[in-house]
Amino acid sequence: MSNPAPLVGPSAPSSTPVAPVKTSRRLFSTLEGVLHEEVFFLILSVFIGIFSGLAVVCFRLTIDWMHLALLGPLPQTHSWRLFAVPSLAGLVVAALVMRVFPGIRGSGVNQTKSALYIFNGFIPFRTAVGKFICAGIAIGSGQSLGPEDPSLQIGASIASALGRQLEISREKLRLMAPVGAAAGLAAAFNAPISAVLFVIEEVIGRWSAGILGSVVLSAVASVVVVRSFLGSEPLFRIPVTTFKRPTELIAYAVLGIAGGLASVAFAKSIGYFRPLLKALPRWTQYFQPAIAGLLVGLIGFLGFPQVMGAGYDSMDQAMHGQYAWKVLALLAVLKILATTVSFVSGTPGGMFAPTLFIGAMLGGAVGDIERFYFPHLTGSTGTYVLVGMGVLFAGFLRVPMTSVFMVLEVSGNYEIIVPVIVANTFSYLISRGFQSIPIFDLLTRQDGLILPSLEEEREETILRVEDAMLPVPATILSAQDYVDANFRRVQNSADSTFLVRMHPSGWNTASREQLQRLYREGKGELTLASVLSSQSLPSLYPDLPLDSALRYVNDYPLIPVVNRADSHHLEGIVSRDSVFQKYGSRRTIEVSHPDAL
Amino acid sequence: MWGQPPRLSSERSEHFATSQAGGAGLKACVKEAEKNPRALATEATCLHPQAPRRPPPSNGIVIRDMSWQMPKLIPRSAPMILLVLTLAAATGFAAVSHLVTRYTANQQARGRKLYALGLENAKALHYDDAIAAFRAALTCDPTNSQYQLSLARALRDSNDPRRLDESESYLIALWQRTPQDAAVNLALARVAAHRGSIEDATRYYHNAMYGVWSGDLDANRNKARIELIQFLLKQGARAQADSELIALAAALPPDPASHLQAAHLFQQALDYPGALAQYEEALHLDPGNSTALAGAGETAYLSGNYSSAQRYLRSAVSANPADAESRQLLASTDLVLRANPFHSHVSDAERNRRITAAFSQAEDRLTACAQQVGIDLTKVDLANTAPASALPGLQARWQLAKPDLDLLRSPAETDLPDAIMDVVFQIEQQTAATCGQPQGLDLALLLISQKREAASQ
Repeated sequence: MSNPAPLVGPSAPSSTPVAPVKTSRRLFSTLEGVLHEEVFFLILSVFIGIFSGLAVVCFRLTIDWMHLALLGPLPQTHSWRLFAVPSLAGLVVAALVMRVFPGIRGSGVNQTKSALYIFNGFIPFRTAVGKFICAGIAIGSGQSLGPEDPSLQIGASIASALGRQLEISREKLRLMAPVGAAAGLAAAFNAPISAVLFVIEEVIGRWSAGILGSVVLSAVASVVVVRSFLGSEPLFRIPVTTFKRPTELIAYAVLGIAGGLASVAFAKSIGYFRPLLKALPRWTQYFQPAIAGLLVGLIGFLGFPQVMGAGYDSMDQAMHGQYAWKVLALLAVLKILATTVSFVSGTPGGMFAPTLFIGAMLGGAVGDIERFYFPHLTGSTGTYVLVGMGVLFAGFLRVPMTSVFMVLEVSGNYEIIVPVIVANTFSYLISRGFQSIPIFDLLTRQDGLILPSLEEEREETILRVEDAMLPVPATILSAQDYVDANFRRVQNSADSTFLVRMHPSGWNTASREQLQRLYREGKGELTLASVLSSQSLPSLYPDLPLDSALRYVNDYPLIPVVNRADSHHLEGIVSRDSVFQKYGSRRTIEVSHPDAL
Repeated sequence: MWGQPPRLSSERSEHFATSQAGGAGLKACVKEAEKNPRALATEATCLHPQAPRRPPPSNGIVIRDMSWQMPKLIPRSAPMILLVLTLAAATGFAAVSHLVTRYTANQQARGRKLYALGLENAKALHYDDAIAAFRAALTCDPTNSQYQLSLARALRDSNDPRRLDESESYLIALWQRTPQDAAVNLALARVAAHRGSIEDATRYYHNAMYGVWSGDLDANRNKARIELIQFLLKQGARAQADSELIALAAALPPDPASHLQAAHLFQQALDYPGALAQYEEALHLDPGNSTALAGAGETAYLSGNYSSAQRYLRSAVSANPADAESRQLLASTDLVLRANPFHSHVSDAERNRRITAAFSQAEDRLTACAQQVGIDLTKVDLANTAPASALPGLQARWQLAKPDLDLLRSPAETDLPDAIMDVVFQIEQQTAATCGQPQGLDLALLLISQKREAASQ
């Protein structure tokens, strides 16, 4: 069937009689005229933000309520509840995932990305409901997962469902999922800038100005909704953070290195165990979340209940120096273990909060150790904890920009921007060095999908016109000279085609045969301009992508490459052969096969 | 709104129909994918059976169409859509608002119970349990200022330096919300006092004094100021403490207890006239107050005002005969008044008698002190040795002044009393420095010397 016509736009019926109509009807028809698809999409983004915000509010209440109902309000170490509850909840979640909501296994980020690139923006609404229920039970019962990823997918599902209801164009429908994803993530994090950046870096995978406005609008709308219901309290109470001496950057660089190594360990463990568990017989998937819950619960039972659930309270306490460095380091290791088992078991939930948790604990531990050996360091534990969060974000999730802005947005303190950037850079580079494929790409490839990634795009070598450019030819003909004079000039040249400088501007070409024919036909006394086509050659600039030359190389034997500042100045030429030769010499980028992972 | 199956036009429609059934369909889909390597049907695609796919053109997979059947809940006209969406958003807001309200009410009730438990624990000085309960209360009602304040106080009072940061963080968050809240400022001031930061503590104490109090404004302000003064005195910041004391004295209510407390602070700040004024104010309000009488006597004694000291101390001893300290001070005061040859109402004869007695006492004191430190004053040859102690020199001066005693009666020798007493005072001061604080008449003479010195300065 054909693609449904755009719902609104200039073509929409708006020819209502204008004459003596009521004011409301006039307003109505004016609105119809004004609301073309672009404007309508922006307005729709606000509604997506509102609906996503409302859903995330309910989701957060569900998690809180489940936590209180299942684990009780007061933390009790060595209570049987700590391992019994996540195990039993794991059984329920597994049954729901296997029987009712099969689409909710795995990462919501990848599912949203798949919707954008494979499924034309389609995410079943059932996914939103399934994520809501199952992630609510799982996280509320203490599985070591976070609510941000499900929130992201709930937002994307709502947006997709709304787009389908409104029968908007296919192009716009594809973009609905990232718009909803930004709204969901912004609501979960209470941080709109980070959400927008994350969606651009990880979900959309490329910088696209066309969607930026909608993503920002939806993110802001959702945050406003969440704050109106749950207050504008930040996720953490940020202590006094300080950065006084530039030499202290070395300490943060060390933290970055430690964070990079921890990121690699975390990503490798998930990347290794996930396919193993998926390869087990199907019936085992009914028990995997329960076993994961049991393991996580045992960690809590043995004295570390901080690793259970999202762990924001514990991060807050770490930020205020409540734990000694040994405890912090142990919590970081245990959280990697707990999150790995929770995630690879297929329990719905996200890795954002655990990533922050591991980073916070690691940051606090490294900071405390450094300050023990170098007491002159002025950074507080809170500063190291905050920087540590960004470090893991940069290293594990491989979203360097989001990681910086996330720390700034969460802390509201720009004083630590330099330590954050330094530490994140080290972490990112180490993570890239030891783990070539980012975690989200790894997960998609394990699922048999290959989706575009901004990191790949960033690292892709772009061929430019200058790469295929040949030097300025020795013989350049002038259109104002006579044909016989030009013919004499080409006699000693080995080339077959020559560039002709037109007057007052522009370029053309003439072949040796063409000049010879004109000369024989007795047109030697005519100027070259009078016998050549008046249509000028297209010209290129050296910095343009080489792809732009492909449009012309089949139509013209030579294409001049001119200077942007002075179009009369010839920088060189490109020909069909030079362009194709350049593409041919470029090493083919082989896309890794999923089996190779 | 649940995604209904799309209208399928391809041969895969049957497969998708089966996949709708749940796990069995999924399994079939995955199996099919395994059989057909050209297809894109991985687990991910199987998990989205309704979704239209965009396979690569070369792999021969049928591209399914975008159209699918969904219940049309929203009309096609743009303004109508906006209207419907607005109504839906409003309904959603109302529903979520209702939900949040109910949930919040439940949580608040739970939070109140936990808060009460925390208060009980804090009262019993079980700060770890109190902190756990307050934290739990805060998870139920995260924005509750009272809970935050109580948690901050418990963290601060738990005597764990690691918890001071967290306490401060809670308080700063509260302060940012309500900078005028006196209780928050007072708590912050106490944290700063724990850290020993005079600047921060003074700022927050001042904020507290001039902030908004829920109870008796003046009483709370004075309480905060008194706390600040005590902190400043403890830190040795006397100048700042003095200025706060002046402000405190000006704002005290007509209440003996308040004046007594202020007097104690003045006394700690070594401002004896100020302290005496506060004791007198207290006595003005409660003339029989034995504490005020004893305090007034002591401060008068310490400031060298022995006549007043005698008067107050006598009253104090008569009001509270068990007050041994006042009795002892009274004895010293009596001695001072009896031994002072410069007293204005003393006759010449009596003055000479007192000088003679003081001179004799000084010799005894000098000899005793020299023996105490192992110096035999009779064997010291001042001309040939340079003694380490000043006592032999004083002995020599005493010997030189002794003949002057006989000239005291001569009306022409007006400077003699001062000259003789000067020797006495030097002996008393030096022996006090060498042999420790004297008792009895020696102490009286020492006090008289100090008073004379203060008067001359």
